[in-house]
Amino acid sequence: MAAKRSLTDELRDVAEGWRWGRRPIMPRSAEGVTAPAERWSFPTDWARTSAGRVARDAILVGAMKPIVWNETAPQVFGLDHLDHLRAPVMFISNHSSHLDATLILTTLPLKWRDKTATAAAKDYFFDVWWRSAFTALVYGGFPIERGGGERATAKAKELIRDGWNLVVFPEGTRSTDGWVQRFRHGTARLALEMQMPVVPIAIVGAYAAMPKGRSWPKRGRPPIRVRYGEALIPREGESHQDLSLRMQRAIAELFDEDRTSWWEARRRAANGETPKITGPAGPTWLRVWEGSRPIRRHGHRPTWR
Amino acid sequence: MARPGFVLEVDERTPPLLIHQGEGFRLEKFPLGSRVIYPPDALSKIRDVRGAIRRALADPHGSEPLAELLKPGMKLTIAIDDISLPLPPMQAPDVRQLVLEEVIELAARNGVEDIKLYMANSLHRRMTGPEIKHAVGERVYRSFYPKDLKNHDAEDPDNLLFVGTTDKGEEVELNKRAAESDLLVYVNINLVALDGGHKSVGTGLASYRSVRHHHNVHTLLHSNSYMDPRAGHSAIHDSLRRMGKVIADAGIRVFTIETTLNNDTFPEQFGFMNKREWEWSTKEQATYLAARKLNDMGPSPAKHQVWMRIRSPHGVTGVNAGSTDAVHERTLAKLHEQQLVEVDGQSDVLVIGVPYLGPYNVNSIMNPILVHCMGPGYIFNMYRNKPVVRPGGVMIMFHPVPWEFHQVHHPSYVDFFEEVLAETTDPSTIESKFEEQYATDPWYIHLYRKSYAYHGVHPFYMWYWGAHALDYLGDVIVVGGNRKACERMGYRAATTFRDALEMASDTVGRSPSIAYFHMPPFMVADVR
Repeated sequence: MAAKRSLTDELRDVAEGWRWGRRPIMPRSAEGVTAPAERWSFPTDWARTSAGRVARDAILVGAMKPIVWNETAPQVFGLDHLDHLRAPVMFISNHSSHLDATLILTTLPLKWRDKTATAAAKDYFFDVWWRSAFTALVYGGFPIERGGGERATAKAKELIRDGWNLVVFPEGTRSTDGWVQRFRHGTARLALEMQMPVVPIAIVGAYAAMPKGRSWPKRGRPPIRVRYGEALIPREGESHQDLSLRMQRAIAELFDEDRTSWWEARRRAANGETPKITGPAGPTWLRVWEGSRPIRRHGHRPTWR
Repeated sequence: MARPGFVLEVDERTPPLLIHQGEGFRLEKFPLGSRVIYPPDALSKIRDVRGAIRRALADPHGSEPLAELLKPGMKLTIAIDDISLPLPPMQAPDVRQLVLEEVIELAARNGVEDIKLYMANSLHRRMTGPEIKHAVGERVYRSFYPKDLKNHDAEDPDNLLFVGTTDKGEEVELNKRAAESDLLVYVNINLVALDGGHKSVGTGLASYRSVRHHHNVHTLLHSNSYMDPRAGHSAIHDSLRRMGKVIADAGIRVFTIETTLNNDTFPEQFGFMNKREWEWSTKEQATYLAARKLNDMGPSPAKHQVWMRIRSPHGVTGVNAGSTDAVHERTLAKLHEQQLVEVDGQSDVLVIGVPYLGPYNVNSIMNPILVHCMGPGYIFNMYRNKPVVRPGGVMIMFHPVPWEFHQVHHPSYVDFFEEVLAETTDPSTIESKFEEQYATDPWYIHLYRKSYAYHGVHPFYMWYWGAHALDYLGDVIVVGGNRKACERMGYRAATTFRDALEMASDTVGRSPSIAYFHMPPFMVADVR
């Protein structure tokens, strides 16, 4: 007779085999022949209720911010650009680290943060229940399908109509080499359709602090700078390609401003000489090498030398 | 369009795989690199089955419409596939019921009065009233049972007719009423390519005198394969084709109605059994765990009852009517669309899980001989071109092989197991030395005719079905099998899959290629 197996053994086999608590993966040879998963989305509306927002703020301010501020040395610039704006707006940023959303949400003033939701990739952030719940609660996250299309933006539109600001990363995924990737047009399309201001944000140094593949920042409190730029207002008759290009340019100017000064960056922008932020041409290692170069510390000068 | 079958290569991402083991199932981890053959997904079912039946009867292949064949004063006999089909039995309404109701409605409208219905059970056990009622539906049952709706009796000399002999000397003896009717309508469920075509009448309504010509060791050894009925590929089908010609030449008019079903085998409660493992939802993982533990804990008789009450949600995928050859050609095409899976090359080891049910233990017990019939007999032979396993390879099957028999249904099996297999397991020796004695034993014949027993010769046929595999394979190892029962049948029993692979290494070496035939649902490996 076959050996009897206890419930614990069975549970362990199922938990291991189906990677409970981790992202489900399929056998390699089954890729391409696997039926699409059911179109079920983790419910997130509860996280945007009053109670959910109070809890979110408590977690962001009471836990996330102290951790990030303790492990890295963030500085924030340009929040004054928000003063004359009215919700809803779309915050867009380059995306190179898991720190990005936390940095934006913890640097936003409370009145903005309280009504800001983050678009998060459904296949990554909403794959297992605990990650879904964490994303919804802490980031006010809602699932967005990377494939695009009407379904992908339906929830975003619903939130905008309800007066919510959105945090969107137009690259769609984190950069693997620290440089900015091609912007997907869905973000510009959405901004045009909803006629909402787009606030560009450049996050400099997050890749060097915690690149893709790391789950904790590097030692030594690496510096990070979050620069808010002037809002872009969709123009009458503007195409989504044009708006997308303006968005990329705005972020590139913020990078330039970070590297030099606001004045120099403005002059270069006026002459169309803003340096590209898509990185150097060349082998992958070179791009990673350049992208992960620690940024210089500046800002507060030591009181004495 | 349904997703086709495919062959998975086990890697470190592959979860443990479901494997059936009699009235149980388990998850088993397979060595990296093993190939797993999965059946295609269920084809979409016909929504309006009655409409499809009406259209098939009105516009048949190779025949006039049925309505034109039905005339006042004629003798009409309707034969119906018996309890061995489908597997598991269908949720009501059974497709046979739907077909019968349309045929009888046409007969009534056309003034036919003399109608007899026969369950085409050949040498199988008689069906009970409730079993017949489930198959034919309450309306047909109430109208015809028991006077005009009966089980075929292959040992009733008064109702058998010798029809003729084929050019190879095979005798054809059929149900007399069917043979003497003006029209014989055969209502079939074609579950696998082995069934249907000329096998329906040539076996279902035949006697031992006739069946023995194709259910014998020589024929079954030369049927490569049972699932490939094309001329020259399967001796059993060639024999049946010759018999079909004799029947046609004798002027017996057969109007064949064949139906095909999809792969939707298990009801929703057991939905995880219909799905590929890595696609199991959390709910299905939980259902597996709950079902597995309940099944392990439950007392054996209760467990047996639960399994036997499973009714499959099979959907009808095709209805074809007309002349036997024209209809069967279309039926096979539909079957292949549902069941064929392309497999590249053979393996050293074939792994199968023998499920709780086969054609001969519906509402009964799967005794060791039926395990042999299902494993080396049927599942091994679910291929086209060549077997999934190489010559001299090993078959590892999962089944408890309990030393247990249904005393009413399988009396001759008990004696076959105790007397015949105790002496030899060689099919040819068994055939020459014991078959006639069992086939003509008056007590077995009495039990077959008056009780609900399989014919005395039936266990022999079960053994012969496995003759090809026994001749072909180097070893058969049964994981979890009763040691004594396995030993009696010439198998080796292993406690675990790992032990079985270890034992197989004597025959196929330490690094064999392994193929797991992930069945049920039914499928046929098209091995290239």
